[in-house]
Amino acid sequence: MEESGRAQGWIGEPTGGKEKSSMNPRLGSGRFVAALAALVFAAAACGGTGGGTTSSPSKGTLTVAGFNFPESSILAEIYGQALAHDGYTINYKLLLGTREVVAPALESGQIDLYPGYAATDLEFYNKGAGEANGDATATNAKLNSHLQPLSLVALTPSQAVDQNAFAVTKDTQTKYSLTKLSDLAPIGSKLTLGAGPECPTRPYCQPGLDKTYGIKFKAFKPLDTDGPLTRAAFKNGTIDVGLVFSSDGDLNSLGLVVLQDDKHLENADNVVPILRQAAASDEVKKVLNAIDAKLTTADLVTLNSQVSIQHQDADAVAKAWLQQHNYDS
Amino acid sequence: MPTGIFLDYVDPWVNWAWLSTHIALITDALQQHLLLTAIAVAGGLALSLPMGIAAHRWPSLRNPILAVFGVVYTIPSLALFALLVPYTGLGIVTAEVGLIGYTILILVRNLLIGLESVPPEVLDAADGMGYRPTARLLRVELPLALPAIFAGVRIATVTTIGLVTITALIGLGGLGQLIDKGLIENFHTPLVVGTVLSIALALVADLALIGAQRIAIPWSRDTTG
Repeated sequence: MEESGRAQGWIGEPTGGKEKSSMNPRLGSGRFVAALAALVFAAAACGGTGGGTTSSPSKGTLTVAGFNFPESSILAEIYGQALAHDGYTINYKLLLGTREVVAPALESGQIDLYPGYAATDLEFYNKGAGEANGDATATNAKLNSHLQPLSLVALTPSQAVDQNAFAVTKDTQTKYSLTKLSDLAPIGSKLTLGAGPECPTRPYCQPGLDKTYGIKFKAFKPLDTDGPLTRAAFKNGTIDVGLVFSSDGDLNSLGLVVLQDDKHLENADNVVPILRQAAASDEVKKVLNAIDAKLTTADLVTLNSQVSIQHQDADAVAKAWLQQHNYDS
Repeated sequence: MPTGIFLDYVDPWVNWAWLSTHIALITDALQQHLLLTAIAVAGGLALSLPMGIAAHRWPSLRNPILAVFGVVYTIPSLALFALLVPYTGLGIVTAEVGLIGYTILILVRNLLIGLESVPPEVLDAADGMGYRPTARLLRVELPLALPAIFAGVRIATVTTIGLVTITALIGLGGLGQLIDKGLIENFHTPLVVGTVLSIALALVADLALIGAQRIAIPWSRDTTG
């Protein structure tokens, strides 16, 4: 769906419209040199990219931006395709470097919206003042107080969240019947925690687990955050609880389960679209709020694994998610 | 530990199935890389020629010009792009302001070296033959400076092919996007394709410039760097 509204820029989206190429040589192994040569000539032969063809009257044109990590491309595609489904013409500016580039582009109207994260965006726009906390609604309200003077707005945050989280293996979960961090308090003395070496001094990590949840671990192993060391330590049983990112696409395939942060220790990095006020019409808000009401952290894990592990394209997995949620074209 | 929970999937260096369905992504990246490089070098040359000639004719301009572009060369690309985006947008103009700015130092320096290396007796002979200054510049000095100018264009081209990847910050980047994708997704295929193609592009561009130089100025055959 919505290919019609897609104006292709440069490489544009990592994904957009590339399967439509007429060139699709079957590459056999051992033909790499020939393939390279073919690519060089093909690049010279390919014409410029064409704009999208609009078949029905558009409600207006919106430019959706995304950062250069898979989850951001997926979210930008979900927002963009849902708005296209509603009749807007969408341009994509994906794989942008950082907020230092994206924020001025939004303020100056080069782009109209991007998928943000409530706590991270608050701490960007307040220049690291430390106002974010574990309450998504309060964090988002603070964010909006900083966005208002810039004529920007953050909509209602989704329940889907990409934040620091603590995971256990499925075996540990079953053994102690764990679902949330509070469940660890009575059994902490039997468990070893693994995280980055800064964890014992950071409020979101070991001191926070002690103060907020009353969890005192048997031991701490300095590792990394959701990196290869943590994975290896889970695998060989050196740690029982590890620090991960809640939407990481590897979690399912690694057999890890995130424990719910039921007392809101971690900053609320809930997914939230950030728009120019001029672009935030009631209809646009309605479309985006409907998406955010349906999106869950489990969806993010699945979508991220489809892109990062199965190497599917962000626009394709976004389209599939929308179809599952009745955005049929 | 039960087995089968942790997948030890080994990513091959080149996933041919992914490659065969993403040819257009790769050719778009390569095309963008070529275009960004060509505009940067051509634009850099167009700006460097008058500045280099002016600095040669009026030596008091020499140090200020080199100092200004020496400073431009040190501006971090993130800072430059963040400053430019509100005015020039997220696109080719912003990218080229940066890339052209970075090539000018290389090109102006080589142009000056070329012009300064013209032997004084040749200039005396040209003056003696009645060349006026502009004619002397166009018919004597610039032709004799061509080998150094070509050397500058070669350095600027190969450097720019490497630098284009920084424009991934503003969503361009050419082959740099493939390299970024490979690094971010821990996926070897785009990483390998992007790296191999950018090295190949640098080699091909350098060889093509050597070939162009031999055709344009055959007398310089033995002096190319």
